[in-house]
Amino acid sequence: MIFKIEDVTVYFPYDNIYPEQYEYMVELKRALDAKGHCLLEMPTGTGKTIALLSLITSYRLSRPDSPIKLVYCTRTVHEMEKTLAELKLLHDYQVRHLGAQAKILAIGLSSRKNLCVNPKVVAAENRDSVDAACRKRTASWVRALSAENPNIELCNFFENYEKAAENALLPPGVYTLEDLRGFGKNRGWCPYFLARHMVQFANVIVYSYQYLLDPKVAGIISKELQKESVIVFDEAHNIDNVCIEALSVSVRRVTLEGANRNLNKIRQEIDRFKATDAGRLRAEYNRLVEGLALRGDISGGDQWLANPALPHDILKEAVPGNIRRAEHFVHVLRRLLQYLGGRLDTENVEKESPVSFVSSLNSQAGIEQKTLKFCYDRLHSLMLTLEITDTDEFLPIQTVCDFATLVGTYARGFSIIIEPYDERMPHIPDPILHLSCHDASLAIKPVFDRFQSVVITSGTLSPIDLYPRLLSFNPVVSRSFKMSMTRDCICPMVLTRGSDQLPVSTKFDMRSDPGVVRNYGKLLVEMVSIVPDGVVCFFVSYSYMDSIIATWKETGILDEITHQKLVFFETQDVVETTLALDNYRRACDCGRGAVFFSVARGKVAEGIDFDRHYGRLVIMYGVPFQYTLSKILLARLEYLRDTFQIKEGDFLNFDALRQAAQCVGRVIRSKADYGMMIFADKRYSRHDKRSKLPGWILSHLRDANLNLSTDMAIHIAREFLRKMAQPYDKTGGSVGKKTLLTQEDLEKMAESGVQDMVY
Amino acid sequence: MFHHFIIVHASDQANHASTSESCASVALPSTSFLESRIRDASGRFRALPLPIPLPERETSHLQRFHASGRLRNIYMESVKAKFKGSMNDRGTPGILKIMKGKLIFEPDDLNSDSKHEVQSQDIESRQYTKEGSLPLFRLINIQKRRHIYEFENHKSLNAFRDLITKAFTICEEEPKKKSAVLTSAEQLSVADSELRVKLLSENRVLTEDEFWATRKELLGKDSIRKKKQQVGLKSLMVSGIKPSTDGQSNRVTFNITPEIILQIFSEKPAVRQAFINYVPSKMTEKDFWTKYFRAEYLHSTKNAAVASAEAAEDELLAVLLKPDEIAAQEIRRKVRRFDDMVANQADDYSHIMWDGIRDVVEPKNYQFRRSLAQDINRHSATVLEGRIIDVETEDSRTVAEALTLAKQEKKDVNQERLKDLQERQNFSLKPLSIKEPRDYFESQQVNVLNEHRGAKESNISLHEAYRLLQESISEVRSRGLNDPLTKPQVSLEVISELNRMVSTNKNNTTGNSPSDSVLDKLPKSMKDEYLHQWTSIQELLRHYWSCYPITTTYLSTKVGKLKEAMSKTYSQLETMKELVQSDLRHEFSLLVRPVQKALDAVFEHYEADLQRRITKSHEGKIL
Repeated sequence: MIFKIEDVTVYFPYDNIYPEQYEYMVELKRALDAKGHCLLEMPTGTGKTIALLSLITSYRLSRPDSPIKLVYCTRTVHEMEKTLAELKLLHDYQVRHLGAQAKILAIGLSSRKNLCVNPKVVAAENRDSVDAACRKRTASWVRALSAENPNIELCNFFENYEKAAENALLPPGVYTLEDLRGFGKNRGWCPYFLARHMVQFANVIVYSYQYLLDPKVAGIISKELQKESVIVFDEAHNIDNVCIEALSVSVRRVTLEGANRNLNKIRQEIDRFKATDAGRLRAEYNRLVEGLALRGDISGGDQWLANPALPHDILKEAVPGNIRRAEHFVHVLRRLLQYLGGRLDTENVEKESPVSFVSSLNSQAGIEQKTLKFCYDRLHSLMLTLEITDTDEFLPIQTVCDFATLVGTYARGFSIIIEPYDERMPHIPDPILHLSCHDASLAIKPVFDRFQSVVITSGTLSPIDLYPRLLSFNPVVSRSFKMSMTRDCICPMVLTRGSDQLPVSTKFDMRSDPGVVRNYGKLLVEMVSIVPDGVVCFFVSYSYMDSIIATWKETGILDEITHQKLVFFETQDVVETTLALDNYRRACDCGRGAVFFSVARGKVAEGIDFDRHYGRLVIMYGVPFQYTLSKILLARLEYLRDTFQIKEGDFLNFDALRQAAQCVGRVIRSKADYGMMIFADKRYSRHDKRSKLPGWILSHLRDANLNLSTDMAIHIAREFLRKMAQPYDKTGGSVGKKTLLTQEDLEKMAESGVQDMVY
Repeated sequence: MFHHFIIVHASDQANHASTSESCASVALPSTSFLESRIRDASGRFRALPLPIPLPERETSHLQRFHASGRLRNIYMESVKAKFKGSMNDRGTPGILKIMKGKLIFEPDDLNSDSKHEVQSQDIESRQYTKEGSLPLFRLINIQKRRHIYEFENHKSLNAFRDLITKAFTICEEEPKKKSAVLTSAEQLSVADSELRVKLLSENRVLTEDEFWATRKELLGKDSIRKKKQQVGLKSLMVSGIKPSTDGQSNRVTFNITPEIILQIFSEKPAVRQAFINYVPSKMTEKDFWTKYFRAEYLHSTKNAAVASAEAAEDELLAVLLKPDEIAAQEIRRKVRRFDDMVANQADDYSHIMWDGIRDVVEPKNYQFRRSLAQDINRHSATVLEGRIIDVETEDSRTVAEALTLAKQEKKDVNQERLKDLQERQNFSLKPLSIKEPRDYFESQQVNVLNEHRGAKESNISLHEAYRLLQESISEVRSRGLNDPLTKPQVSLEVISELNRMVSTNKNNTTGNSPSDSVLDKLPKSMKDEYLHQWTSIQELLRHYWSCYPITTTYLSTKVGKLKEAMSKTYSQLETMKELVQSDLRHEFSLLVRPVQKALDAVFEHYEADLQRRITKSHEGKIL
């Protein structure tokens, strides 16, 4: 359908539209007009993605003289694929109606492992080894050498791509990762480098968060994006964690040992070069004197990771004198490693700020702050000079240098925490040194400053006013939408006690109580016998899941469950989890039914949908708090309290509940879908926790369902399932309020004003 | 009238049921029998050819068949006894007969009127005297009348007592069993049942059970329908097998059934592999399972140190305690596709810098710890797959090998996306379930004929056979299959002949065709006679061919009987042919020809087989 929102003609590829999609588009348009940022919460299953894509592309079409680029950031590769699929549909629709002027170039971008078509390279085990294998074949010195030595293996695809030079262009269209690989294979060009090159020309780019938030990666990929871009972060409820992780480093003993080995190797290389080609080292020295190391003649392909510090924090000065010579630099690094090793030998937990750390480093090891700041660049330049291609082997020394650079650059918002052992296992010595970032706004601030409009959207952004404070930005639009439904297709329940009226919780002191364990087990056994097809259970942690399953096995509850449905687990092994998921889906398809046990902060909860019959019931066992005794978390809470005046309890509750809402929202992916959600912990009935659930869940959580025991829950579940199995009218026209609008409805609405649209 | 003895085997269950025929008076219209061959407990057969035909009034309640005028012979048990009206009576000598449902006394002196019969349901009680006194048998019936019989001696009294108890109790039991068989056979047409009766009663050729044996498919209809769905695996976990203990000693006993073994082998390929390697070469099966359960116990205690210590001593335990490599390989093979989560790992740069959630550091003995989650995942996946082999054998080793084979074949096929539910593969082990015995027997028949023809050749050794096969293959390869398998002229002839036969038969036998069929032209009696002959021949043929290969003497006598019966029918057919009017003779002979051909084949086969057996036995004797 085609309709107008104020002055923009919106091309929407379906014949009907939900009211909340319409609202969403209106708000989004306002934010774009204002050239400001916005924060929008819309529940899952309401077509958020297509609404975003259609509005922004239509907006661009309606303003041809100031074209905007859309950068769409997703969390997982799977979401990337889904978005590109929707975009294809939209693109076809627009081209059909508007003709050639609607053609766009849209690409998805990922790492080498997902885009490489060279079979020898892609066969390497993990991402880093693929990178190293690629570099072995594509580094500039390797290619220079191969001109003389034909034995050196090159990558044909890269060679062809380089030869094509300016002609290496993608024709307009929408390209998923698979399309890119196919195109690359056909033409014989390397898809990865081609895609990176096309980032400048594409109208729509879809990639992962890190490509924009993590300075190491963003510095290479996204540094050429222009200001007039709209950045969309989809499923962004965890964006603060992503920002924090981007700027945090951990150093362990193994890291130090590895770094020592790397330094030995570097030393050997330096000696070798001194003997054979001393001129090269001297040239580097001169370059550094002139401060060219930072800009340098480093071609795009050779650079593999950029400075970990944020771009505007990188000093634009010449490298200080004491590390200009390669041997000196190596000496400095050795001293640093020794100091760090000494710090790791501590017996107590230590916490200090970066400033004090740097000063003690200065007094004990004689390394100045400025030296620390340049560590990364210096290492980078040295490795290029020494023509080292096995970058995956040199990760430890890179880690140490990243650490040094960050410590030297930032004074606020970080803490250094040294733990001699993990609290949960005091007997095993495993010292670790964390440089943890507490301030999420540090990583995302450049994004907010640099680009015109940033849209942060998700299904669970509650409470919505916490995000501007955490990320320190000012949105022009901040709105939360509810789901309009013809029938109540979700049934959330808060279960606080078992059938024997004993309260249940995963509070630490109650966790191992046999009564609680039994009640949880009985809940699952009863539910499994009345709910058809798939049931998903989320636990608060792997260790809790293991212990409760072991107890259930001993008492025979697990056998009772297995009678009714097959059981599958998420483990820490990705491969096994994938297989378990696949078997779970097959069991649900063939009618056998299955239960899937998962963890609230695991990979499944983040990325996998359990829609339709794959998830008819989700049980959230307990409140998924983070490990509250972790020093990092405590430090962060303290920082938040001091800087942003956010209370610790509030923040912990917020974090736990957004995780719970995220888990629970996995079961609904469309309006025709239905599912039940059980929050099985007595703490959910309290207002401070309950109020943090997103609006679309709260609106269906009746007061009667707030304090249930197992038998009551079963009764409600039975009725709900029976009701849901009846046929219903999708448009809801007969009931009164419309939930599915057609073009005429929209036109009528536009005439009489949006206020009539009440649901 | 025929006199015929049937040899009864003591172990033959079928004949036990035959005694029940006397009681098949259950209300079925036309299907009860007259026979009453009764065998006493010691297996002696007391059959007396009955010189006196049964008087008419005795048979009134028995079935009457179409008036062929033949009489039926009834076998019964009869004992000499004296009937005494009261204790003081001297007693009239006579014969006491047990028949189905009643007891008949006939005095020697035909003029006496003390002949009577007592129905079995009227008998209220039976009493016998003990040793030492007169051997007397007393019947008290419902009307409180008493009948006293005196026997010659106690031995005959006891024999009689056994007999009567047997006969009358069987009478009560059998109707139920018989009715079960017969109700399912109610779908039998009336004609078919009449045939049955005819054949069996007149010719005394077949027993009833033999008759029913070939019609077993009627019984088996329901069960065949059920067999189409395969029973899946139990979802009870194999680690849930609990042992039984006796409270006194420290021993625990595990009972494992083949079902459990199949499940263990399906779930844990490492155990299966170890089984194939170790049993029976290095240890017995019992030892293997003992070690297996010991390993399970060690796992459940979660004591990694003890586990590693024990594993160091015993190599099988070490194999069983390690995490399942084969399973892990299978998993990896299955997930070798472009997958979401694996792709995510590739895309995620955050792990360079940050370690993520720090979880428990693995201790040194990690290799001896398996997680419950993995076990359960594996178990559920196996149950979901269901039974991939259909072998119903008790031998664990066969099961293990079959599973390995099955999994290997599956691996090759399983390269595509897992989402497609694959068709069931047909594995090399075909299940042995004979639903249609005739198929099996007829296939055996073919073997026998071939064997008969090739009996002149000596036994070829395996190597010889292989060499011959190789030669023929190389011949074929070099020459190609030049000669067609059948000569074209021959096949043409056959086809035209068949077509002719088909059309003529159609004309002849269908009553619905407008043209007159031969049968209609015949007089009615002849037509009936012919049809009767035809159906009986069909039945006899069926039984004949199912007898081969002859393994027991029972079968050989049966064969002999059948052959005799068939030769009789043959001669009857010949006479019929003569009797037919001349104008119809040709068509009639055409009609009769296929039947005669079949009978000829039977005779030939019988002769040949007999010859062979005679020569064999001669050889045996000589040797």
